[in-house]
Amino acid sequence: MSTHIYAFGSVCRGDVSLDSDVDLLAIVDGRDERFNLDIFSVYSAERIHALWNEGNPFAWHLALEARLLFSTEPTDLLSCLGNPKPYQKCADDCTKFANLFDEAHGSLLSQTSSTVFDLSMVFLSIRNIATCFSLGITEQPTFSRRSALELGRDSTPLSEQAYQVLERARVLCTRGYGPGLMRTETQAVLGELPAVKEWMTNLVRRVEEHE
Amino acid sequence: MSEFNSRMAAQRRIVHLVNGTSKGREELFGLSRQAIDRWIIANGIDAESRLVDLIRSAASRIACLATKSQEQVSEDYRALVQDIDAFAIQIETELG
Repeated sequence: MSTHIYAFGSVCRGDVSLDSDVDLLAIVDGRDERFNLDIFSVYSAERIHALWNEGNPFAWHLALEARLLFSTEPTDLLSCLGNPKPYQKCADDCTKFANLFDEAHGSLLSQTSSTVFDLSMVFLSIRNIATCFSLGITEQPTFSRRSALELGRDSTPLSEQAYQVLERARVLCTRGYGPGLMRTETQAVLGELPAVKEWMTNLVRRVEEHE
Repeated sequence: MSEFNSRMAAQRRIVHLVNGTSKGREELFGLSRQAIDRWIIANGIDAESRLVDLIRSAASRIACLATKSQEQVSEDYRALVQDIDAFAIQIETELG
């Protein structure tokens, strides 16, 4: 059975922190029950080929960052694939993440029982729209957790403090790790979200004009 | 709604349902295994209870769509909405 295991993400970029996890990708033939899905992202070779052919941002992320750790074959599958096709769904993807932001923001304004989850969704939308924008519009794609702060003059208007609170919400949601958020912290973030909405709307408009 | 947004909306529906009904010390932060484990410990919930089993099953149902092939996905998302409806009803019943 053909198996390739790669590392990708912060450990390959070298921007590790105490909160960093190690992103691992397993590419397998068909179904393979050996891999713990809490540790590995598991994809079939067929699915990887499909991502490459559609120029998916995750394919670009892997193409630009992934490092082979193990292979049952003499070849490096991802290197052999070369670059993915050009990224062409930037406007669709940015709209998708802007919608996610709107849903999470609306939810935060209407209820207080799931604040961490909704702030985590806000973080996901901000990071991903920035990554897609960087890949679709700029010459320097960034896949870092801090991508929204790395767009130069197009960076998010969020303060460093608010960004850190959102990052903590994301870690709590995905890894259940870290101190809970204080009410004052979440209120401070909420106060900055209207500016984030404006920033996102501007990014989507720029991408649509570009396409 | 895109498939990605549908998946996130399904997660939100379950998380909101749990947090809106149960009044524990700490809210459920998400549907990852680690987040559910933390919620169980923080609130002294029986890890073997039907409620936990239903939440884990809903989480697993949503997560498995993320890595499926594109051909399977469109059909599966229609089924997801129905399945999440069913999980939500059962979770609501368990939460009383």
